[in-house]
Order: sequence, then C-alpha cells, then structure tokens
Amino acid sequence: MSAEPYASATGLVERYAAAYVSAVPDHAKDDGLFGPASVTWRLAADLSAPVAGLRSVLMQALHPLAMAGVDQHSDWRRDPVGRLAATSAYTATVTYGDRATASRAAQRVRVIHEHVRGVDAVTGRPYAAGDPALLLWVHAALVDSVLAAGRLVGTPPQDADADRFVSEMTVSAELLGVPREVIPASVAALEEYITGVRPELRCTPAAAESMGYMLDPAGLGEEIAELWLDIRDAAVTALPDWVRDLYGYPAPPAITPARRTEIRQTLGVFDAVFLAEPGVLETRQRLAVRMRSAGKA
Amino acid sequence: MKSERNARLRSPTRKVAAIAALGGASIAGLAVVRHRAARLGGSSLRLERGLTALRLAARGGARYASNAPRLFASAGEHREALRNDLALQTAEDVAATLGTMKGVLMKLGQMASYVDDGLSPAARRTLSRLQDSVPPMSPELAAQVITEELGQPPERAFATWDPEPIAAASIGQVHRAITLDGRAVAVKVQYPGIAETIEADLGNVALLRRMLKITAPSQDVDALLAELRERVTEELDYRREARNQQMFARYYQGHPTIGVPQIVPELSTRRVVTSDLADGARFAELTSWSQAERDLAAETIYRFVFRSLYEAHAFNGDPHPGNYLFHGGGRVTFLDFGLVKYFTADELRPLVEMVKHLCVENDPEGFRRAMEDAGFLMPDAPLPTDMLVEHMAVFYDTVRERGPRTMTGAYASAVTRRFFDFRSPLAAYVQIPRSYVILQRINLGLFALLGELTATADWRCIAEEIWPFVQGPPCTPMGAAEAYWRASRTGAGQADVRSEKSFDLS
Repeated sequence: MSAEPYASATGLVERYAAAYVSAVPDHAKDDGLFGPASVTWRLAADLSAPVAGLRSVLMQALHPLAMAGVDQHSDWRRDPVGRLAATSAYTATVTYGDRATASRAAQRVRVIHEHVRGVDAVTGRPYAAGDPALLLWVHAALVDSVLAAGRLVGTPPQDADADRFVSEMTVSAELLGVPREVIPASVAALEEYITGVRPELRCTPAAAESMGYMLDPAGLGEEIAELWLDIRDAAVTALPDWVRDLYGYPAPPAITPARRTEIRQTLGVFDAVFLAEPGVLETRQRLAVRMRSAGKA
Repeated sequence: MKSERNARLRSPTRKVAAIAALGGASIAGLAVVRHRAARLGGSSLRLERGLTALRLAARGGARYASNAPRLFASAGEHREALRNDLALQTAEDVAATLGTMKGVLMKLGQMASYVDDGLSPAARRTLSRLQDSVPPMSPELAAQVITEELGQPPERAFATWDPEPIAAASIGQVHRAITLDGRAVAVKVQYPGIAETIEADLGNVALLRRMLKITAPSQDVDALLAELRERVTEELDYRREARNQQMFARYYQGHPTIGVPQIVPELSTRRVVTSDLADGARFAELTSWSQAERDLAAETIYRFVFRSLYEAHAFNGDPHPGNYLFHGGGRVTFLDFGLVKYFTADELRPLVEMVKHLCVENDPEGFRRAMEDAGFLMPDAPLPTDMLVEHMAVFYDTVRERGPRTMTGAYASAVTRRFFDFRSPLAAYVQIPRSYVILQRINLGLFALLGELTATADWRCIAEEIWPFVQGPPCTPMGAAEAYWRASRTGAGQADVRSEKSFDLS
C-alpha cells in the first residue's frame, strides 16, 4: 500500500456546489434520463442527500477491486475532494443533464475506465474498472444508500416509490456498460443482489484508511467539521450491521426521534451553507419550477 | 451518548460555531470575533458578551416595507413567474422551506444584520441568500391563514382583498386590503406553522450552542440562548407587535411630522396584524431629495427616537431604513414595532443622569457615578475619570455643545468603531447591562441613518427641548409645531400611554 498521505479536504462544500451548478443545464434540451416527475429527482433533492453520499462511499469501498482501482489510479490521495466532486458532478449530470450530455459524460467515464486496470495487492486478483460486476456494485451501493438515508433521516420514500426509484436508476448503470438483465430493478432484487455480493466484500487496509479519512476529513474547516459529525453519525447508523462489522465500527445506539430531529437540523444548516454557494439557489429554483409543473401535468 | 457528544463538542479543537459555517467559503471574517475574545481573555469578556446580546437583539433584513421590498428575490429575469411557480402552497411547504433550522437562521441573521462589525460579509451574504430562498405564500395559502385567524375568508373579512402580496415580512408577507368600513389597510400574514417550526428548532439547544459559541464564551451561551428564544418567541406573536404599534400610534396622534399607522384591533390576531395602509417614499429615494428635505426628515427621526425614549419610556429597537416612509416637509411614517423595549423609571434614570452630568453640568465625576449606577462601569475601576470621559465623549459628541452639526457616515463609523474597540483600556471594565443592550442601537442604527443623510441640525438645541431636566424652548419650526401639539394634547393621550405600557412591561 502506498503510504502517501491524504490531502486536505478544504473546499468540500464549494467544490460540490460548483459541480452541482455546472451539472444542471440552464435551458435543458430535454428532460434527460429521469425527468422532473421522477422519484430520482425528488430523492436527489432530499435533505438526507449528504448522508446518502457518505453512506454509499462507505459501501462502495468494501469491494476490494473497486477500492484498489480508486486507490491505485485516481487522484484520490492527492485530491480527495476533487475526486469526490468529480463523481458528484458526474452523478448530477446523469440525473439532471439532457440525454445527449448524460451520454457524453458516461462515454468519457468509460474511456477513463479503459485505463484503470491492475492487480489488487490484497486479494491478488486482477481488476478492470470497466468490469460490469464492479460497476454494478458501485451502482447498487448508491441506490441502496439513497433509500437508507432517506428512511433514516430524510423524507422516507413510500414502498412503491422506492421500487420505482430502483427501477428508474437502472438506466444509469446501463449507461456505463452494465447489461440491463443483471441490474436490480426492484427493492427486493436490490437486496438479493447485495446479499449475493457480501462474500466478496472486505475491509482492505486501503478501505480502512480511506474511510477513516472520509469520516474525519482533515482540513474540512472547523465549522463544516462540526456539522460533519452528525452527517457521519447518520451515515454510519444507516449502514447494515454487517458493513459496520466489516469496518469494526461499534454498533451505534438506535436513533431516537429527538436525535433524528437534531440530525435533520444539522442537515438544514449544512444545506443553508450549500445554498449560499454561487448559483446553487438559482439552480434549485430552476429544478423546483420544472418539478412543480411536471407535478401539475 | 449525549454526554459523549457534548464532551466531543467541548474539546478545544471542536470549539466551533456552525453559524460561522454560514459564511460558506470565507468564514474567516466571523472568526475575528472569537480571536478578539481570545485576546481579551477572562473577565474582560463582559463587553464582548454585551455585544453578542446586542447582535441577538438587533434586527433588520427584508421585511414589511423594507428598503427594497423584496418579494422572493430570485435571481434572474423571470422573477414574477418564478414567484408564482414556487409559491408555498401548504403548511408542509412552509415546514420544508423554513424548518430544520432555516427559519431560525433567518431570524438570527436578521438580528445580526444590523451590526456591521458582527458578521463577515460572507456570513451576511449567506444569511441574506437564505432569505432570498423563501418564496411567498400562494394566494390560497395566505387566504387559508386569514380564514383560520379571522374566522372567514379574506374576501368576506375584507371588502377588497389583493391576493398579490406587496411586501415580504421576515416570517410572513404583507397584503393590501380595504376593510368592510372602507379603510385601506396593510395586512401582515404569518406563514402557517412557522411559529411551531421555529419554536421546535429553538429547542435544539445543542446545535444553537454550537452556532453561538463563536460569539460568546461558554458560560454565557445559556443566557444568550434565553435572550434569542425570548426575542424570537416574542416576534412570533403578532399581538405584541400590534400592542406596541397601538401605543406609539396613540402617543403620536396628531403630531405634526410623526405618523404611525393605526392598528385595526378587530382584524389583528396572533398570526395576522392589520394596520392603516401607508405609502410614501423609501429611504433610498429620500437620499436623492434636497438636503433641506433630508435635514427635516432626519430631525423628525431624531425627535421620534428621543421623545419616545424620554417621555413614553419606549424605544423602538428597529431603526432599519426600511421602516420609514417619507412624505416631504419632514413628515415621516414609522413602521414595524416588532421589537420595542419599555424602560422603567429606574432603568431610565441613570441614562438621564449620564447625559445631564456630562453635557449640562459638566461634572465628570457625576458622569462616572451615573455610569456605575447604570452598571455600565465596574465600581472602583482603576481608570482615571478624564480617560473615561474622553472615551465616552464620542457618543455624546453631537449634543455636548450648541450649534449646527452635520452627521456624517464618518462620525457614525467612528462611533461604531469606538463601540467595538476591545483593545481600549476600558474594555475590561465596561459592559452593557442586558436591559440597555437595545439602546446601543441608537449609536449603531440611528447615527448610521442620519450619517447617510448627511443631516445638519443643532442637535444639542433639539435635545434640550426633549431632555426632561431642561425642557428648553422650541429651537426649530418643527420644534414650535411640536410644542403646539404637546400643549394641545388631551391628558387622555398620556393616560393611554401609561396603560399600554403597563400592559407590556414584563
């Protein structure tokens, strides 16, 4: 394992905001892969989104080959925030961009993935970032996390909406080259898939180190770090027990209604900070108008 | 879990206020306050504490008839369309938009926005951004609140109801209407559920503690929280504001230049306050008027502030430029009485003594004693009296001598700078008792306002008219008109003031 230390997480909020603003088109040519009436748009705007994001990274890192790809090839250690912001920009583009822009973004990622190949030092197995199995795990971790975070600290999605969300999201995995037939299209299928992958998952030293950093990023700035404590607590609590066991995190106490309110208040403050970044309010307003008119139609 | 959390929060490296995070990218500005506090250390933090309370007591921001009456100031060209498209349609929309601390942050921001030294530009931008993010209620939702509060829908409660709001209020919006008996009125309607939402969020002491910690040493956070909760809770009940405004309206009834819109009590409730509709030029417009007009307007504002204080024992703590309408000839309408402080005779006496000793009797030791009596100065502070006088004189600069003086922006900022000067040798011994905190807004708000108008007058002479220990003869035409008004007032006017006041003293 290369022992290069992680760079500071300075600018996390700013860079996330910039990624978000740049990913949402001013004048969309079409409604993109999901559209304003989708459950995907609704859940993406939920207060629980930062918790979902952190939880999904915690899940994704447990696949040794996915983790090795990130650790050995990307700028992860040198510029962790840049790496996260790039991922977030990509996700936002696929979510909100018009179809052509989303496809182009996916195409670029596929080209990058072509070069991400190697051998995982821990398992000794070769890996390729374009491997549909890895892409599917990353996809499933995200989809599962959006639902789990929403249930724990967000606006809990109705069962039918949860199914619809999992089904809507299949298109984003397909976009990166995962064959449609293997992508879970319902909550039940998603859970079954995750259970099936469990034997492959482990907490490699790279995962332990990366996630240690994610839970307490250096250089976040005191104020954001303070808010991050609650976001982190929520993300860890939203994990399945077995994931926490793999990391060796202690089981957190159950979240009481009062604690849930507290976390939501922290998320509200965090959201206010995000909202103040240039362009975020305008971007939100544009999306909100589109979602409203879609709701009326 | 809880104590563990708290312990974690208390550790020095985590000694953080999330409100600083409101500064977003460049939070450093707000941190200045804390660094100052660190430099001061120990017992000398009392002034700092007073300032924090002041910051909390301060209000401003976009509100009823604000300077630029922002109705959901969305960026971009389609403001009107956006406003309608994004209007809050249900109480759930209100909770989603203003719940989870956002309403509390907005109030906090308003309270802080007046004191320019308190927040970094970035933090202020963030808070104002938050304010911009709140759309108005849809006509249906506003009508629903009216129905709940007045017992019938607006088109029945009023002869005419304009469903389009004319201005944003901090936790509501203002509609125009005509009452059944033909009065043109402004109706302020509170967002439904906002009171409950804000009260619930105010209950999160842990997060508020974190938000406030940066501006206050830990032992004071509880007092500050109490102050904040009190202020905000007061504002959530419009009945209090209606009572305040009624008191001022009665007191100034018939005044030659001071106007206060009358409240319509039967159309005012906890979430709705109805008053006569006033129209006039905004502050921004006034600044383009002739200097003579500006001087007259300034004289009226000055008289209003000090007459209210010395005679009605009441101080409207909101000298925000948006709270005035100007009509020419010095006539000014005063709006928004959400934050009014009533003083007891005992509370007022030392203030009067201070002015008297410094400005009239030229008795520095008496001034010092009065400062001590008021609790501004620690007894037996090892400070020479002339140093004290020299430091404090700037606050009295405009009234120490007769003769015309021009208020300038430079004077206003000198006063502000002096006020915030923690490096001064006095800082360790001077503090602002809680009951006077709001008064300091005379320095920070009134002088800034008059400075912006570059208003000239013989302020000392006007003050002598008002000072109860001088009661000098009128020295301007406005003073003469005011004297006539005072002489012609019935005794009932005074009695009214007293009864209203006892109503509100708490």
